Amino acid sequence: MSNTTRGFKWLSGPYLLWCVGFTVIPLLVIVQYAFTDTTGAFTLSNILAILDPIHSKAFLFSLEIALGCTVLCILLAYPLVLVFRRLHLSRGKFMLFVLILPMWMNFILRLLAWQMLLSNNGIINNLLIRLGLQPLAVANTWISIMIGVIYEYLPYMVLPIYNAITDIDEGVIQAAQDLGADSGTIFRKVIFPLSIPGLKSGITMVFVPSMTSFVIADLLGGGRLQLIGNIIEQEFNRSMDWHLGSGLSVALMVFVLISMAFTMKSENVVEEEGRQWRVN
Amino acid sequence: MPESILELKNISKTFDGKKVIDHLDLTIYKNEFITLLGPSGCGKSTLLRIIGGFVQPDEGRVFCNGVDITDLPPEKRNLHTVFQKYSLFPHYDVAENIAFGLKLKKKSKEYIRDKVKYALRLVNMEGFEHRKPNLLSGGQQQRVAIARAIVNEPEILLLDEPLGALDLKLRQEMQRELMKIKREVGITFVYVTHDQGEALTMSDRIIVMNQGLIQQMGDPKSIYDEPQNAFVADFIGESNIITGIMRKDCLVEIQGQDVMCVDTGFQKDEPVDVVIRPEDLSIVPEGAGFIDGLATDVIYQGAYYDIRVLADDYEWAIQSVNPVMCGTRVGLAILPENIQIMHKPRSADEEVIRGK
Repeated sequence: MSNTTRGFKWLSGPYLLWCVGFTVIPLLVIVQYAFTDTTGAFTLSNILAILDPIHSKAFLFSLEIALGCTVLCILLAYPLVLVFRRLHLSRGKFMLFVLILPMWMNFILRLLAWQMLLSNNGIINNLLIRLGLQPLAVANTWISIMIGVIYEYLPYMVLPIYNAITDIDEGVIQAAQDLGADSGTIFRKVIFPLSIPGLKSGITMVFVPSMTSFVIADLLGGGRLQLIGNIIEQEFNRSMDWHLGSGLSVALMVFVLISMAFTMKSENVVEEEGRQWRVN
Repeated sequence: MPESILELKNISKTFDGKKVIDHLDLTIYKNEFITLLGPSGCGKSTLLRIIGGFVQPDEGRVFCNGVDITDLPPEKRNLHTVFQKYSLFPHYDVAENIAFGLKLKKKSKEYIRDKVKYALRLVNMEGFEHRKPNLLSGGQQQRVAIARAIVNEPEILLLDEPLGALDLKLRQEMQRELMKIKREVGITFVYVTHDQGEALTMSDRIIVMNQGLIQQMGDPKSIYDEPQNAFVADFIGESNIITGIMRKDCLVEIQGQDVMCVDTGFQKDEPVDVVIRPEDLSIVPEGAGFIDGLATDVIYQGAYYDIRVLADDYEWAIQSVNPVMCGTRVGLAILPENIQIMHKPRSADEEVIRGK
């Protein structure tokens, strides 16, 4: 058996090359930039620049958007998935397909469409005015950014949770019912705990990208509202200060890694809570 | 007269245009071990699911202690099911699985702890409290599933082919244990199986089902010894079923030979089905039995030999402790009381005769 695995190991070569060339080396370069100044001397100032009021404000705003997006995606995903599960299998699959369909369109195009929908004299406001209602002033506000990130990342929350929940054996749910659990209890004690692995990947796939995105804020925030991603992008592309850009990137990366570690731990807490069930 | 606990009245259920249960009436008594036995698709599992509340009957009512429970959802019924696939909660350990129902009933911590302990001892699983189900064998998982149902003290325990996924040896061991558990907890067991051996071993009463109808019900011995139709005779153990003609009371013609039997009440020269169990036939020298034939196949089965004797185009199955040589001519003998005579069905439809 080890012979066969060895024989096929070289197949991962191209990916390894890709990975080293386009992930590992650039990362090392960024780290090197982050800890040096223009003269090449070691410094922590690029990293600590995250504490600068302008930067920390953008950072906290990013955090708010990412947390809000993650929580709202979770709240939207569970009812959706539970409905999908109830539907006849083929119809549930179709609904899922409808949900994923927009993902086949280009990311920028989707955002431009939202921009047109939400702008002050956009389609939605036109419609509201025609209906004699107050137009919305959401264009270039945090609300439109929030709508954008939720729209972009909701499928990444729904899919893993859907997979986890459809994997649950119907017999297990019937057993819970048989033992006296109503549908709320079945969700709390059986479906939700068993969906946690899916929730875990969902959070990873929604929180991290919504924390670090900058295109969405660019297009839907009108350039007035800046996420930390926008600031990093500006340091690289406009100010050409690669050292500062790298420093902020590394600070952000460390924060994301820590918060992910924390997420894994807090899920254990959720599991622990299920343990009030523990006997003895 | 034993006290009844569950009554099914005029139950019908159709799935995709196929009648799975057809106007079925059944009374289940307190503290009995009743087995629904039949081939797959005979409606036995559907019947169990109707009792459990997972399937709604199209017609008919279900009464428990005289109260109509037809419209109650499963979680409101005081009956619990042991499923074939065990269906343990994978995220809880053994003790948490067993405590599930009690927690929902908000029992005290001490009560739950004692109950779980008791249940684990009952199913012989002490020391496994904190194992996760995926670390248990099939037999152990099924024990936990039984314990999980029993701690809630249901009035009736429904068992849906609970031993179906286990290997033969474990199955026999679990059969004995189920009977022990049944004796100890003293509740009504409704057991579904397609395994006639299992049914004969454990049940107080067997309901043989086919095509949504009750074919026969009675204690294991009466089902085995006096099958009421060819389906039951064939399904319960191996049988020789051959056409005969009833010459007069206590005399039947089988393959042109008059043979003494003990059955009466048939019309003169009525064609009948004759049922003879393989173990009731004995091999005798040629000419000494009611018929002679050629031994075509002899298979050693451990406790007995499985012998086939071809006589007049009919292949008799015989179980005998003494071997014969393949290819020799032998006679077959039978005691009159071991012959079971049944009316021939008038049509294929009548093959399924309604139980009494």
